[in-house]
Amino acid sequence: MGVIKSKKWFLAFLLPGLLFYILAVFYPIEESLRLSFMDWGGIGEKKFVGFQNYIDMFHDKVFYESFLNNLIYLVIVVVMQLGIGLLFAILLTYMTKRVTLVKTLYYVPCIITTVAIAQLFRSMYATEPMGLLNQFLQSVGLDQFVTSWLADIHTALGAVSFPEGWRFTGMYMVIFYAALVSLDPSVYEAAKVDGASELQILFRIKIPLIKDIFLLTLTMCLTGALRGFDIPFLLTNGGPGNTTELLSTYMYKKAFSSNQYGYGSTVAVFIILESILVVFILRKIFSEKEKK
Amino acid sequence: MKKKMISMLLAVSMVAALATGCGSGESQDNGSKDDVTTIKWFTSRPVDGAIDQTVREIADDYSKEKGGKVVVEFETTADRPSYLQKLKTLIAGGNMPDIIDIDADPYCQELVDAGMLVDVKKFLQDNDKYDDFYPTALRYQEFTDGSMYTLPLEYNVEMTWYNKEIFDQYGLAVPKTMDEWLDVCKTLKDNGITPISVDGVDRWPVQRYLAMMPFRETGNDFIIGLRDGKEKMSSQTGKEAAEFMQEIGQYFNDGFAATDYATAQSMFLDGKSAMYYIGNWEIAAMQDAYDAGKIDYFYLPTIENGKTQANEFCVNSGIGMAFNSETFDSKTKDFVLYLLDNYGEIYASKQQISPIKTELPSDVEFSDLYMRIRDDIENLGENFLKPWDTYLDADTNTTMQDNLLLLASGELSVDEFCNMIDESIAANVK
Repeated sequence: MGVIKSKKWFLAFLLPGLLFYILAVFYPIEESLRLSFMDWGGIGEKKFVGFQNYIDMFHDKVFYESFLNNLIYLVIVVVMQLGIGLLFAILLTYMTKRVTLVKTLYYVPCIITTVAIAQLFRSMYATEPMGLLNQFLQSVGLDQFVTSWLADIHTALGAVSFPEGWRFTGMYMVIFYAALVSLDPSVYEAAKVDGASELQILFRIKIPLIKDIFLLTLTMCLTGALRGFDIPFLLTNGGPGNTTELLSTYMYKKAFSSNQYGYGSTVAVFIILESILVVFILRKIFSEKEKK
Repeated sequence: MKKKMISMLLAVSMVAALATGCGSGESQDNGSKDDVTTIKWFTSRPVDGAIDQTVREIADDYSKEKGGKVVVEFETTADRPSYLQKLKTLIAGGNMPDIIDIDADPYCQELVDAGMLVDVKKFLQDNDKYDDFYPTALRYQEFTDGSMYTLPLEYNVEMTWYNKEIFDQYGLAVPKTMDEWLDVCKTLKDNGITPISVDGVDRWPVQRYLAMMPFRETGNDFIIGLRDGKEKMSSQTGKEAAEFMQEIGQYFNDGFAATDYATAQSMFLDGKSAMYYIGNWEIAAMQDAYDAGKIDYFYLPTIENGKTQANEFCVNSGIGMAFNSETFDSKTKDFVLYLLDNYGEIYASKQQISPIKTELPSDVEFSDLYMRIRDDIENLGENFLKPWDTYLDADTNTTMQDNLLLLASGELSVDEFCNMIDESIAANVK
């Protein structure tokens, strides 16, 4: 028999998945790349323009603004998702009762549809009628902070980033929790016998032991944030002005609102390259640590 | 062993071929199975709104008359931005539906230039239908050169609705001029009343305010010049428009940029704002308060020595219906003519103002408000304000709409705004 051992058979089993991957992921990327060298309004012939779109992109003020906004968005989202997720996971390991209930409750935001989340936060941020957030501020006497959070250029970017962070905190919490409870207790019990404090055990033993999980979650979280689109788009559509414009919303606008499919694809290619670069750097950092 | 693998590979590739075969087969199929003709209308009218209801009724009757041989299929995406995105993607992919909804904007012009749309003006004239329409309803659908490729199904005027109780309380009269209007706003604001509620989420209501001054000064000449690159936003007229935008913007409700259509309207109807700009398509929402004498409306105020008069303001016949020139065969034509014959009366009986001249059905009772607006429409002047988003190229329009919110809230200066628009026009004018 030896079906499992034969390398050729692996290929046959991989083929459907590979075909699907090529069609659903690789082909669109290739098309974007091809379109990024073209000037095309959606009707008629595509015109080859070489690197003109890329040159334009690096002279585009809004592009830089979106890039910067995207970085701020990324920091907020990553800090919330990983930071708070990890904190909750650690706290959860000290809980003895109702762990599953808490886990489930915190996971709920992940399964709510995006549109509902956007609507939820739109109402919370609103001043007309007074939203939850502003009501809260009023009731604790912080009236000077009451504002229409999505319309105010100083708060809009933060306001569109927060829901995305909130939404997946529970998911990362579950991942971290699973990793933490799967650790072999004998390791840190030994440390405890040697007189290590809880904090020392946490930072010196537990967290280093789940390093691989960090690589995974960071990759997911960073690439997710770089591609962030739905909630900001639904909440403000990049506005007011371009204060909440992210690279992906800008790409969408250029391609589908402005009919500049070529230029939109150029921004798309930039997002892909950026994501690949981030993953590459992450792997590099983590593998270097391993060598030490 | 090797054979097995090869046969397996073959099987997999066959399945794959089958799957792709199905996909392309479906998209090629234009529905002429069993000699039933399917006419597909890819539409952006509110589901169950008057237009949707009317056309569905007519399509059903038509289908019955033809013994079920002709079926009109509706595919509705009411939300305009997502509709346009789907439409553009369909067209870019070479799958334009038989009938579509589109404004006579630069994108539509591109479709015309590519020979993809039917000349509706010629079609109407050939079939003696042209004079059945109100002239202004048709002129709204025209391109600047006078050609027309879209068919109107609605006819609207836009006005500012105001709260009579609030106006009376502060002794305010209905403003006749733009300056008076600003004064009214100022008085209200000084008294702690929100003068105007605005839907900033959809952008276009804000854009109307920008268009007001240039329309009073030049008619539509300014925006046509701007589009063609012959006029500048940083010219005197352009700057005045932006300055007016900024001035009136301070009287908009707080956080208007994040206020949506429904909220802006309910603010006005709940008496939380004194004025609200919307067209007569919201007549049903206004009816009760109007009957109770709580609200009334006025049209766009005038300026001294302006080019346009008090009976000239924003009139539109909505997004038009356009026909794919490739699939516009005798059957589709027949349906469209049937639609035109029946549309006016059925549409009017739903308390709507029809773009096709029609006697009002005697079995329906029309409200005073309806009759008054209908009279206004009969007395329209020669000029009408055509919304700027139907003139500007898509890219400039996006830039303008995005940054208007900042201009109106005072976070962007007039000069910066004007330069931004001029740059965008320069980059996009062909």
